[in-house]
Amino acid sequence: MAAPLQLYCWRGDHGLPSVDADCLTVLAYAKFAGAPLKVHKITNPWRSPTGILPALKTREEGSFSQPSKIIIQLRKQKYNADYDLSAKECADTLAFVSLLEEKLLPALIYTHWVDAKNYVDVTRRWYAENIPFPLNFLLPNRIHGRQLERLRLVRGDPTLEPGEQLEKELYHDALECMTLLSQRLGSQKFFFGDSPSSLDAYVFGHLAPLLKIKLPNGKLQQHLNSLDNLRQFCTNILVLYFPSESREAPAKKVSNHADGGDFDNEPHKRRNQILSVLFAVGAMLGYAFLSGIITIKHTPARLEEPHVDEEEEEED
Amino acid sequence: DSLLGEVLVVELNTAEPWPENATLYQPLREDQILLSDCASSLAVQAYLRMCGLPVRVCCRANAEYMSPSGKVPFIHVGNQVVSELGPIVQFTKAKGHSLSDGLDDVQRAEMKAYMELVNNMLLTAELYIQWCDDTTSSEITRPRYSSPYSWPLNHILAYQKQWEVRRKMNAIGWAGKTLEQVYEDVSQCCQALSQRLGTQPYFFNKQPTELDALVFGHLFTILTTRLTSDELSEKIKSYSNLLSFCRRIEQTYFEEMNGLIIIVQT
Repeated sequence: MAAPLQLYCWRGDHGLPSVDADCLTVLAYAKFAGAPLKVHKITNPWRSPTGILPALKTREEGSFSQPSKIIIQLRKQKYNADYDLSAKECADTLAFVSLLEEKLLPALIYTHWVDAKNYVDVTRRWYAENIPFPLNFLLPNRIHGRQLERLRLVRGDPTLEPGEQLEKELYHDALECMTLLSQRLGSQKFFFGDSPSSLDAYVFGHLAPLLKIKLPNGKLQQHLNSLDNLRQFCTNILVLYFPSESREAPAKKVSNHADGGDFDNEPHKRRNQILSVLFAVGAMLGYAFLSGIITIKHTPARLEEPHVDEEEEEED
Repeated sequence: DSLLGEVLVVELNTAEPWPENATLYQPLREDQILLSDCASSLAVQAYLRMCGLPVRVCCRANAEYMSPSGKVPFIHVGNQVVSELGPIVQFTKAKGHSLSDGLDDVQRAEMKAYMELVNNMLLTAELYIQWCDDTTSSEITRPRYSSPYSWPLNHILAYQKQWEVRRKMNAIGWAGKTLEQVYEDVSQCCQALSQRLGTQPYFFNKQPTELDALVFGHLFTILTTRLTSDELSEKIKSYSNLLSFCRRIEQTYFEEMNGLIIIVQT
Protein backbone atom coordinates (compact mmCIF):
# COMPACT_ATOMS: atom_id res chain seq x y z
CA MET A 1 0.00 0.00 0.00
CA ALA A 2 1.43 3.35 -0.97
CA ALA A 3 2.23 5.70 1.88
CA PRO A 4 -0.30 8.52 2.00
CA LEU A 5 2.37 11.15 2.63
CA GLN A 6 4.84 12.01 -0.07
CA LEU A 7 7.71 14.40 0.32
CA TYR A 8 9.49 16.01 -2.58
CA CYS A 9 12.89 17.43 -1.87
CA TRP A 10 16.24 18.30 -3.39
CA ARG A 11 18.67 15.50 -3.99
CA GLY A 12 21.50 14.94 -1.60
CA ASP A 13 25.24 15.14 -1.99
CA HIS A 14 28.45 15.39 0.04
CA GLY A 15 27.10 12.93 2.57
CA LEU A 16 23.84 14.78 3.18
CA PRO A 17 20.33 13.47 2.45
CA SER A 18 19.58 16.80 0.77
CA VAL A 19 21.60 19.88 -0.14
CA ASP A 20 18.87 22.35 0.80
CA ALA A 21 18.44 23.58 4.39
CA ASP A 22 14.62 23.52 4.37
CA CYS A 23 14.52 20.00 2.92
CA LEU A 24 16.99 18.80 5.54
CA THR A 25 14.86 20.32 8.31
CA VAL A 26 11.76 18.50 7.10
CA LEU A 27 13.57 15.19 6.51
CA ALA A 28 15.10 15.32 9.99
CA TYR A 29 11.77 16.16 11.63
CA ALA A 30 10.07 13.30 9.81
CA LYS A 31 12.72 10.88 11.05
CA PHE A 32 12.47 12.20 14.61
CA ALA A 33 8.69 11.92 14.62
CA GLY A 34 8.67 8.53 12.94
CA ALA A 35 6.51 9.70 10.07
CA PRO A 36 6.33 7.19 7.22
CA LEU A 37 7.12 9.33 4.22
CA LYS A 38 7.72 8.35 0.64
CA VAL A 39 10.60 10.61 -0.23
CA HIS A 40 11.09 11.71 -3.81
CA LYS A 41 14.55 13.14 -4.31
CA ILE A 42 14.38 15.27 -7.39
CA THR A 43 16.40 18.00 -8.99
CA ASN A 44 13.63 19.78 -10.81
CA PRO A 45 11.53 22.03 -8.59
CA TRP A 46 8.92 22.37 -11.31
CA ARG A 47 8.01 18.73 -10.79
CA SER A 48 7.03 19.29 -7.20
CA PRO A 49 3.29 19.64 -6.48
CA THR A 50 3.65 23.25 -5.31
CA GLY A 51 6.43 24.37 -7.62
CA ILE A 52 9.02 24.76 -4.87
CA LEU A 53 10.97 22.36 -2.73
CA PRO A 54 10.44 20.94 -0.13
CA ALA A 55 6.82 19.98 -0.70
CA LEU A 56 4.58 17.60 1.21
CA LYS A 57 1.76 15.94 -0.68
CA THR A 58 -1.06 14.48 1.36
CA ARG A 59 -3.95 12.47 0.03
CA GLU A 60 -6.79 14.49 1.49
CA GLU A 61 -5.47 17.93 2.19
CA GLY A 62 -3.41 18.90 -0.79
CA SER A 63 0.18 20.03 -0.82
CA PHE A 64 2.20 22.24 1.50
CA SER A 65 5.46 23.96 1.07
CA GLN A 66 7.29 25.84 3.81
CA PRO A 67 9.01 23.81 6.57
CA SER A 68 6.80 25.35 9.28
CA LYS A 69 3.63 24.46 7.38
CA ILE A 70 4.89 20.95 6.64
CA ILE A 71 5.72 20.37 10.30
CA ILE A 72 2.27 21.62 11.35
CA GLN A 73 0.69 19.22 8.85
CA LEU A 74 2.75 16.31 10.16
CA ARG A 75 1.70 17.21 13.68
CA LYS A 76 -1.95 17.19 12.60
CA GLN A 77 -1.43 13.67 11.36
CA LYS A 78 -0.17 12.76 14.84
CA TYR A 79 3.53 12.68 13.98
CA ASN A 80 4.77 14.98 16.70
CA ALA A 81 8.39 15.09 17.79
CA ASP A 82 7.59 17.73 20.41
CA TYR A 83 5.09 15.62 22.32
CA ASP A 84 7.28 15.28 25.38
CA LEU A 85 8.31 18.90 25.63
CA SER A 86 7.13 21.07 28.51
CA ALA A 87 5.40 24.37 27.79
CA LYS A 88 8.59 26.29 28.59
CA GLU A 89 10.57 24.11 26.19
CA CYS A 90 8.02 24.76 23.45
CA ALA A 91 8.41 28.48 24.11
CA ASP A 92 12.20 28.11 23.92
CA THR A 93 11.80 26.28 20.60
CA LEU A 94 9.91 29.22 19.10
CA ALA A 95 12.52 31.64 20.41
CA PHE A 96 15.55 29.72 19.14
CA VAL A 97 13.98 29.09 15.73
CA SER A 98 13.44 32.85 15.48
CA LEU A 99 17.09 33.37 16.44
CA LEU A 100 18.14 31.02 13.65
CA GLU A 101 15.98 32.76 11.08
CA GLU A 102 16.97 36.28 12.03
CA LYS A 103 20.68 35.91 12.70
CA LEU A 104 21.99 32.78 11.01
CA LEU A 105 19.88 32.38 7.90
CA PRO A 106 20.91 35.67 6.19
CA ALA A 107 24.58 34.74 6.57
CA LEU A 108 23.91 31.25 5.20
CA ILE A 109 22.08 32.73 2.21
CA TYR A 110 25.02 35.06 1.68
CA THR A 111 27.69 32.39 1.94
CA HIS A 112 25.99 29.90 -0.38
CA TRP A 113 24.30 32.14 -2.91
CA VAL A 114 25.67 35.67 -2.88
CA ASP A 115 29.39 35.44 -2.10
CA ALA A 116 30.96 35.51 -5.56
CA LYS A 117 33.54 32.78 -5.19
CA ASN A 118 31.31 30.35 -3.30
CA TYR A 119 28.38 30.85 -5.63
CA VAL A 120 30.31 30.37 -8.86
CA ASP A 121 32.63 27.57 -7.74
CA VAL A 122 30.30 25.47 -5.65
CA THR A 123 26.61 26.33 -5.55
CA ARG A 124 25.98 27.27 -9.15
CA ARG A 125 28.14 24.44 -10.36
CA TRP A 126 26.25 21.86 -8.32
CA TYR A 127 22.83 23.14 -9.41
CA ALA A 128 23.86 23.54 -13.05
CA GLU A 129 25.22 20.00 -13.14
CA ASN A 130 22.23 18.44 -11.46
CA ILE A 131 19.18 20.26 -12.74
CA PRO A 132 17.97 18.85 -16.05
CA PHE A 133 18.33 20.74 -19.32
CA PRO A 134 17.21 23.44 -20.08
CA LEU A 135 16.39 24.63 -16.55
CA ASN A 136 20.01 24.40 -15.52
CA PHE A 137 20.69 27.58 -17.46
CA LEU A 138 17.76 29.43 -15.92
CA LEU A 139 17.29 28.40 -12.33
CA PRO A 140 20.61 28.94 -10.57
CA ASN A 141 20.80 32.57 -11.67
CA ARG A 142 17.17 33.12 -10.86
CA ILE A 143 17.59 31.73 -7.36
CA HIS A 144 20.74 33.85 -6.97
CA GLY A 145 18.79 36.99 -7.91
CA ARG A 146 15.96 36.10 -5.57
CA GLN A 147 18.27 35.47 -2.62
CA LEU A 148 20.08 38.77 -3.14
CA GLU A 149 16.70 40.52 -3.33
CA ARG A 150 15.64 38.80 -0.12
CA LEU A 151 18.77 39.98 1.68
CA ARG A 152 18.11 43.51 0.46
CA LEU A 153 14.51 43.48 1.68
CA VAL A 154 15.31 41.93 5.03
CA ARG A 155 18.08 44.46 5.72
CA GLY A 156 15.89 47.27 4.45
CA ASP A 157 18.57 48.55 2.10
CA PRO A 158 17.66 48.47 -1.60
CA THR A 159 21.16 49.39 -2.69
CA LEU A 160 22.91 46.57 -0.89
CA GLU A 161 25.76 45.03 -2.83
CA PRO A 162 27.71 41.90 -1.97
CA GLY A 163 31.02 42.92 -0.52
CA GLU A 164 33.26 42.91 2.49
CA GLN A 165 31.16 45.27 4.58
CA LEU A 166 27.96 43.26 4.26
CA GLU A 167 29.87 40.04 4.75
CA LYS A 168 31.42 41.31 7.99
CA GLU A 169 28.07 42.35 9.45
CA LEU A 170 26.24 39.17 8.48
CA TYR A 171 29.04 36.88 9.61
CA HIS A 172 29.37 38.73 12.91
CA ASP A 173 25.71 38.00 13.68
CA ALA A 174 26.00 34.42 12.47
CA LEU A 175 29.11 33.64 14.50
CA GLU A 176 27.40 35.02 17.59
CA CYS A 177 24.31 32.95 16.86
CA MET A 178 26.35 29.75 16.48
CA THR A 179 28.17 30.46 19.73
CA LEU A 180 24.83 31.02 21.50
CA LEU A 181 23.46 27.75 20.13
CA SER A 182 26.58 25.99 21.29
CA GLN A 183 26.17 27.46 24.76
CA ARG A 184 22.53 26.44 24.91
CA LEU A 185 23.31 22.90 23.73
CA GLY A 186 26.09 22.48 26.26
CA SER A 187 27.08 18.86 26.61
CA GLN A 188 23.62 17.44 25.96
CA LYS A 189 22.93 15.10 23.11
CA PHE A 190 19.98 17.12 21.84
CA PHE A 191 18.65 20.53 22.80
CA PHE A 192 15.98 19.20 25.16
CA GLY A 193 17.52 16.10 26.64
CA ASP A 194 17.83 12.68 25.09
CA SER A 195 15.25 12.71 22.36
CA PRO A 196 15.30 15.08 19.40
CA SER A 197 12.60 17.66 18.76
CA SER A 198 11.71 20.18 16.07
CA LEU A 199 14.37 22.63 17.28
CA ASP A 200 17.00 19.96 16.67
CA ALA A 201 15.60 19.50 13.16
CA TYR A 202 15.85 23.23 12.40
CA VAL A 203 19.38 23.56 13.79
CA PHE A 204 20.50 20.44 11.93
CA GLY A 205 18.90 21.64 8.70
CA HIS A 206 20.74 24.95 8.83
CA LEU A 207 24.13 23.77 10.08
CA ALA A 208 24.60 20.48 8.22
CA PRO A 209 25.11 22.02 4.74
CA LEU A 210 27.63 24.39 6.27
CA LEU A 211 29.47 21.49 7.81
CA LYS A 212 29.53 19.17 4.83
CA ILE A 213 29.67 21.28 1.68
CA LYS A 214 33.22 22.56 1.29
CA LEU A 215 33.30 26.22 0.31
CA PRO A 216 36.33 28.23 -0.90
CA ASN A 217 35.38 31.15 1.34
CA GLY A 218 34.73 29.24 4.53
CA LYS A 219 34.81 31.58 7.51
CA LEU A 220 31.49 30.31 8.85
CA GLN A 221 32.66 26.74 8.37
CA GLN A 222 35.81 27.38 10.35
CA HIS A 223 33.83 28.78 13.24
CA LEU A 224 31.39 25.88 13.16
CA ASN A 225 34.26 23.40 13.16
CA SER A 226 35.68 25.07 16.22
CA LEU A 227 32.41 24.50 18.11
CA ASP A 228 32.87 20.83 18.94
CA ASN A 229 29.47 20.17 20.44
CA LEU A 230 27.58 21.53 17.43
CA ARG A 231 29.75 19.58 15.03
CA GLN A 232 29.22 16.45 17.09
CA PHE A 233 25.47 17.18 17.19
CA CYS A 234 25.21 17.28 13.38
CA THR A 235 27.41 14.24 12.82
CA ASN A 236 25.41 12.36 15.43
CA ILE A 237 22.11 13.00 13.68
CA LEU A 238 23.59 12.03 10.33
CA VAL A 239 24.93 8.76 11.68
CA LEU A 240 21.82 7.88 13.70
CA TYR A 241 19.07 8.93 11.32
CA PHE A 242 20.65 9.01 7.87
CA PRO A 243 23.18 6.18 7.96
CA SER A 244 22.96 5.36 4.24
CA GLU A 245 24.02 8.86 3.24
CA SER A 246 27.00 9.06 5.55
CA ARG A 247 28.23 5.69 4.29
CA GLU A 248 28.27 6.93 0.70
CA ALA A 249 30.12 10.09 1.57
CA PRO A 250 33.64 8.72 2.25
CA ALA A 251 33.75 6.93 -1.13
CA LYS A 252 32.67 10.04 -2.97
CA LYS A 253 35.11 12.26 -1.12
CA VAL A 254 38.05 10.03 -2.07
CA SER A 255 37.22 10.16 -5.76
CA ASN A 256 36.82 13.92 -5.62
CA HIS A 257 40.20 14.37 -4.02
CA ALA A 258 41.86 12.09 -6.56
CA ASP A 259 40.52 14.09 -9.45
CA GLY A 260 41.15 17.47 -7.96
CA GLY A 261 39.00 20.47 -8.70
CA ASP A 262 40.63 21.77 -11.88
CA PHE A 263 41.40 18.48 -13.51
CA ASP A 264 37.68 17.83 -13.83
CA ASN A 265 37.37 21.00 -15.80
CA GLU A 266 40.14 20.35 -18.31
CA PRO A 267 38.71 17.54 -20.49
CA HIS A 268 35.51 19.57 -20.91
CA LYS A 269 37.46 22.73 -21.61
CA ARG A 270 39.61 21.09 -24.29
CA ARG A 271 36.62 19.43 -25.87
CA ASN A 272 34.66 22.66 -25.89
CA GLN A 273 37.54 24.54 -27.44
CA ILE A 274 37.97 22.01 -30.25
CA LEU A 275 34.24 21.88 -30.89
CA SER A 276 33.95 25.65 -31.06
CA VAL A 277 36.90 25.92 -33.48
CA LEU A 278 35.39 23.26 -35.71
CA PHE A 279 32.03 24.98 -35.63
CA ALA A 280 33.59 28.31 -36.57
CA VAL A 281 35.58 26.81 -39.46
CA GLY A 282 32.49 24.94 -40.68
CA ALA A 283 30.44 28.12 -40.56
CA MET A 284 33.01 30.09 -42.51
CA LEU A 285 33.34 27.38 -45.19
CA GLY A 286 29.58 27.11 -45.50
CA TYR A 287 29.24 30.86 -45.99
CA ALA A 288 32.06 30.80 -48.52
CA PHE A 289 30.37 28.10 -50.59
CA LEU A 290 26.93 29.64 -50.45
CA SER A 291 28.05 33.08 -51.51
CA GLY A 292 30.22 31.76 -54.32
CA ILE A 293 33.59 32.88 -53.04
CA ILE A 294 34.69 29.27 -53.39
CA THR A 295 33.27 26.96 -56.03
CA ILE A 296 34.15 23.40 -56.88
CA LYS A 297 34.42 22.64 -60.61
CA HIS A 298 34.00 19.15 -62.02
CA THR A 299 36.57 18.87 -64.85
CA PRO A 300 35.70 15.40 -66.42
CA ALA A 301 32.11 16.28 -67.57
CA ARG A 302 33.01 19.59 -69.30
CA LEU A 303 31.93 18.66 -72.90
CA GLU A 304 28.24 18.20 -72.02
CA GLU A 305 27.78 20.96 -69.50
CA PRO A 306 27.66 24.09 -71.68
CA HIS A 307 24.56 22.81 -73.55
CA VAL A 308 22.77 22.07 -70.35
CA ASP A 309 23.68 25.41 -68.95
CA GLU A 310 22.56 27.33 -72.04
CA GLU A 311 19.25 25.56 -72.11
CA GLU A 312 18.69 26.41 -68.52
CA GLU A 313 19.53 30.02 -69.10
CA GLU A 314 17.12 30.29 -72.02
CA GLU A 315 14.34 28.88 -69.96
CA ASP A 316 14.97 31.49 -67.34
CA ASP B 1 27.94 54.89 7.69
CA SER B 2 27.95 51.23 8.45
CA LEU B 3 26.87 49.72 11.72
CA LEU B 4 30.20 48.02 12.20
CA GLY B 5 32.06 51.25 11.54
CA GLU B 6 30.01 52.94 14.23
CA VAL B 7 30.73 50.23 16.76
CA LEU B 8 34.45 50.58 16.10
CA VAL B 9 34.23 54.34 16.60
CA VAL B 10 32.28 53.77 19.79
CA GLU B 11 35.01 51.57 21.15
CA LEU B 12 37.47 54.38 20.70
CA ASN B 13 35.25 56.79 22.60
CA THR B 14 34.34 54.71 25.62
CA ALA B 15 35.95 57.16 27.97
CA GLU B 16 33.26 59.78 27.32
CA PRO B 17 30.47 59.74 29.84
CA TRP B 18 26.81 59.91 28.89
CA PRO B 19 26.04 63.55 28.07
CA GLU B 20 23.06 65.48 29.40
CA ASN B 21 21.77 66.42 25.96
CA ALA B 22 21.33 62.93 24.52
CA THR B 23 18.34 62.97 22.20
CA LEU B 24 16.07 60.30 20.80
CA TYR B 25 14.38 61.00 17.47
CA GLN B 26 11.10 59.47 16.36
CA PRO B 27 8.30 60.42 13.98
CA LEU B 28 5.54 62.80 15.14
CA ARG B 29 3.65 61.26 18.01
CA GLU B 30 0.15 62.52 17.42
CA ASP B 31 -0.37 62.16 13.70
CA GLN B 32 2.43 60.31 12.01
CA ILE B 33 4.02 57.54 14.05
CA LEU B 34 2.91 54.01 13.25
CA LEU B 35 2.35 51.10 15.61
CA SER B 36 5.62 49.32 14.79
CA ASP B 37 7.76 52.46 15.04
CA CYS B 38 6.06 53.51 18.27
CA ALA B 39 6.77 50.09 19.74
CA SER B 40 10.45 50.22 18.76
CA SER B 41 10.78 53.75 20.13
CA LEU B 42 9.11 52.87 23.42
CA ALA B 43 11.41 49.85 23.77
CA VAL B 44 14.50 52.06 23.43
CA GLN B 45 13.10 54.63 25.86
CA ALA B 46 12.32 51.90 28.39
CA TYR B 47 15.82 50.45 28.02
CA LEU B 48 17.50 53.81 28.56
CA ARG B 49 15.31 54.53 31.60
CA MET B 50 16.17 51.11 33.00
CA CYS B 51 19.86 51.95 32.62
CA GLY B 52 19.26 55.28 34.32
CA LEU B 53 20.45 57.21 31.25
CA PRO B 54 18.58 60.46 30.62
CA VAL B 55 17.37 61.11 27.10
CA ARG B 56 15.17 63.77 25.51
CA VAL B 57 12.53 62.63 23.06
CA CYS B 58 12.36 64.75 19.93
CA CYS B 59 9.65 64.25 17.32
CA ARG B 60 10.52 64.99 13.72
CA ALA B 61 8.53 64.32 10.58
CA ASN B 62 11.64 63.16 8.72
CA ALA B 63 13.10 61.01 11.48
CA GLU B 64 13.10 57.97 9.20
CA TYR B 65 15.27 59.76 6.68
CA MET B 66 17.63 61.16 9.30
CA SER B 67 18.36 57.73 10.68
CA PRO B 68 21.61 56.14 9.49
CA SER B 69 19.95 52.78 8.84
CA GLY B 70 16.56 54.09 7.72
CA LYS B 71 14.86 52.72 10.82
CA VAL B 72 13.55 54.59 13.81
CA PRO B 73 14.21 55.38 16.56
CA PHE B 74 17.74 56.62 16.66
CA ILE B 75 19.67 58.41 19.38
CA HIS B 76 22.09 61.26 19.04
CA VAL B 77 24.69 61.08 21.80
CA GLY B 78 27.69 63.36 21.77
CA ASN B 79 28.81 63.15 18.16
CA GLN B 80 27.45 59.68 17.43
CA VAL B 81 24.18 58.59 15.89
CA VAL B 82 23.00 55.05 16.61
CA SER B 83 19.73 53.52 15.49
CA GLU B 84 17.70 50.47 16.55
CA LEU B 85 17.69 48.70 19.89
CA GLY B 86 20.43 46.14 19.15
CA PRO B 87 23.16 48.64 18.24
CA ILE B 88 22.00 51.02 21.00
CA VAL B 89 22.44 48.24 23.58
CA GLN B 90 25.97 47.62 22.28
CA PHE B 91 26.66 51.34 22.34
CA THR B 92 25.63 51.74 25.97
CA LYS B 93 27.56 48.60 26.87
CA ALA B 94 30.69 50.19 25.43
CA LYS B 95 30.03 53.17 27.67
CA GLY B 96 29.89 50.87 30.66
CA HIS B 97 26.13 50.56 31.16
CA SER B 98 24.68 47.11 30.78
CA LEU B 99 21.63 45.31 32.10
CA SER B 100 22.64 41.79 31.12
CA ASP B 101 26.04 41.45 32.78
CA GLY B 102 24.68 39.31 35.57
CA LEU B 103 23.40 36.62 33.23
CA ASP B 104 25.24 33.38 32.64
CA ASP B 105 25.86 32.01 29.14
CA VAL B 106 22.70 29.93 28.86
CA GLN B 107 20.55 32.80 30.10
CA ARG B 108 22.18 35.21 27.68
CA ALA B 109 21.50 32.79 24.83
CA GLU B 110 17.85 32.59 25.89
CA MET B 111 17.59 36.35 26.21
CA LYS B 112 18.91 36.92 22.68
CA ALA B 113 16.66 34.15 21.35
CA TYR B 114 13.53 35.67 22.92
CA MET B 115 14.46 39.11 21.61
CA GLU B 116 14.64 37.62 18.13
CA LEU B 117 11.28 35.95 18.77
CA VAL B 118 9.75 39.37 19.38
CA ASN B 119 11.45 40.78 16.28
CA ASN B 120 10.62 37.81 14.11
CA MET B 121 7.00 37.27 15.10
CA LEU B 122 5.61 40.30 16.89
CA LEU B 123 7.25 43.05 14.87
CA THR B 124 6.61 41.27 11.57
CA ALA B 125 2.97 40.74 12.58
CA GLU B 126 2.67 44.46 13.36
CA LEU B 127 4.11 45.34 9.96
CA TYR B 128 1.80 42.86 8.28
CA ILE B 129 -1.31 44.21 9.97
CA GLN B 130 -0.33 47.78 9.24
CA TRP B 131 0.62 47.45 5.60
CA CYS B 132 -0.72 44.19 4.17
CA ASP B 133 -4.24 44.28 5.59
CA ASP B 134 -6.17 46.45 3.16
CA THR B 135 -8.60 47.90 5.70
CA THR B 136 -5.95 48.97 8.18
CA SER B 137 -3.65 50.16 5.46
CA SER B 138 -6.17 52.44 3.81
CA GLU B 139 -7.91 53.70 6.95
CA ILE B 140 -5.01 54.16 9.33
CA THR B 141 -1.53 53.45 8.04
CA ARG B 142 -1.34 55.33 4.75
CA PRO B 143 -3.07 58.48 6.03
CA ARG B 144 -0.82 58.56 9.09
CA TYR B 145 2.42 57.81 7.25
CA SER B 146 1.79 60.51 4.67
CA SER B 147 0.31 63.16 6.98
CA PRO B 148 3.31 65.58 7.01
CA TYR B 149 3.48 65.74 3.23
CA SER B 150 1.35 67.48 0.63
CA TRP B 151 -0.18 66.05 -2.51
CA PRO B 152 1.11 64.23 -4.56
CA LEU B 153 4.12 63.32 -2.44
CA ASN B 154 1.95 61.84 0.29
CA HIS B 155 0.42 59.27 -2.05
CA ILE B 156 3.73 58.40 -3.65
CA LEU B 157 5.59 57.88 -0.37
CA ALA B 158 2.79 55.90 1.22
CA TYR B 159 2.37 53.54 -1.71
CA GLN B 160 6.11 53.18 -2.09
CA LYS B 161 6.49 52.14 1.55
CA GLN B 162 3.53 49.78 1.27
CA TRP B 163 4.98 48.15 -1.81
CA GLU B 164 8.35 47.74 -0.09
CA VAL B 165 6.81 46.12 3.00
CA ARG B 166 4.67 43.79 0.89
CA ARG B 167 7.73 42.67 -1.06
CA LYS B 168 9.52 41.96 2.19
CA MET B 169 6.58 39.88 3.43
CA ASN B 170 6.71 37.98 0.18
CA ALA B 171 10.41 37.31 0.53
CA ILE B 172 10.12 35.91 4.05
CA GLY B 173 7.07 33.79 3.27
CA TRP B 174 4.40 35.83 5.09
CA ALA B 175 2.58 36.93 1.95
CA GLY B 176 0.48 33.78 1.85
CA LYS B 177 -0.79 34.24 5.39
CA THR B 178 -4.28 35.39 6.19
CA LEU B 179 -5.03 37.91 8.93
CA GLU B 180 -6.37 35.08 11.08
CA GLN B 181 -3.10 33.20 10.79
CA VAL B 182 -1.16 36.32 11.74
CA TYR B 183 -3.32 36.78 14.85
CA GLU B 184 -2.67 33.13 15.64
CA ASP B 185 1.10 33.71 15.33
CA VAL B 186 0.83 36.68 17.69
CA SER B 187 -1.06 34.49 20.12
CA GLN B 188 1.65 31.83 19.97
CA CYS B 189 4.32 34.43 20.51
CA CYS B 190 2.49 35.84 23.54
CA GLN B 191 2.01 32.36 24.90
CA ALA B 192 5.74 31.71 24.63
CA LEU B 193 6.53 35.02 26.35
CA SER B 194 3.97 34.35 29.04
CA GLN B 195 5.42 30.89 29.64
CA ARG B 196 8.93 32.27 29.91
CA LEU B 197 7.86 35.06 32.25
CA GLY B 198 5.86 32.78 34.51
CA THR B 199 5.29 34.40 37.89
CA GLN B 200 8.56 36.32 37.98
CA PRO B 201 8.58 40.12 38.03
CA TYR B 202 10.95 40.29 35.04
CA PHE B 203 12.14 37.76 32.50
CA PHE B 204 15.36 37.10 34.36
CA ASN B 205 13.94 37.31 37.83
CA LYS B 206 14.78 40.40 39.82
CA GLN B 207 16.47 42.70 37.33
CA PRO B 208 15.08 43.97 34.06
CA THR B 209 17.12 43.42 30.91
CA GLU B 210 16.87 44.61 27.32
CA LEU B 211 14.42 41.77 26.70
CA ASP B 212 12.02 43.29 29.24
CA ALA B 213 12.36 46.68 27.55
CA LEU B 214 11.65 45.20 24.11
CA VAL B 215 8.65 43.16 25.23
CA PHE B 216 7.24 46.11 27.16
CA GLY B 217 7.65 48.41 24.16
CA HIS B 218 5.69 46.15 21.86
CA LEU B 219 3.00 44.92 24.24
CA PHE B 220 2.28 48.33 25.74
CA THR B 221 1.99 49.94 22.31
CA ILE B 222 -0.36 47.24 21.06
CA LEU B 223 -2.51 47.58 24.17
CA THR B 224 -2.79 51.34 23.91
CA THR B 225 -3.23 51.80 20.17
CA ARG B 226 -6.59 51.66 18.50
CA LEU B 227 -6.65 49.71 15.25
CA THR B 228 -9.56 48.72 13.06
CA SER B 229 -10.26 45.77 15.31
CA ASP B 230 -9.43 44.95 18.91
CA GLU B 231 -8.38 41.41 18.20
CA LEU B 232 -4.65 42.09 18.55
CA SER B 233 -4.92 43.64 21.99
CA GLU B 234 -7.43 40.98 23.05
CA LYS B 235 -4.82 38.33 22.28
CA ILE B 236 -2.44 39.96 24.75
CA LYS B 237 -5.09 40.65 27.37
CA SER B 238 -5.77 36.93 27.66
CA TYR B 239 -2.38 36.54 29.37
CA SER B 240 -2.71 38.19 32.76
CA ASN B 241 0.96 37.95 33.70
CA LEU B 242 1.91 39.92 30.59
CA LEU B 243 -0.63 42.61 31.52
CA SER B 244 0.72 42.95 35.04
CA PHE B 245 4.28 42.93 33.63
CA CYS B 246 3.44 45.94 31.45
CA ARG B 247 1.74 47.74 34.34
CA ARG B 248 4.72 47.10 36.56
CA ILE B 249 7.24 48.55 34.13
CA GLU B 250 4.97 51.49 33.37
CA GLN B 251 4.65 52.30 37.07
CA THR B 252 8.32 51.85 37.83
CA TYR B 253 9.94 53.62 34.89
CA PHE B 254 7.30 55.84 33.32
CA GLU B 255 5.70 57.53 36.32
CA GLU B 256 4.45 60.50 34.32
CA MET B 257 2.53 58.17 32.02
CA ASN B 258 0.88 56.43 34.95
CA GLY B 259 -2.56 55.18 34.12
CA LEU B 260 -2.01 55.38 30.37
CA ILE B 261 -2.62 51.69 30.06
CA ILE B 262 -6.30 52.42 30.53
CA ILE B 263 -6.43 55.29 28.05
CA VAL B 264 -6.59 54.40 24.39
CA GLN B 265 -4.87 56.76 22.00
CA THR B 266 -6.02 57.02 18.41
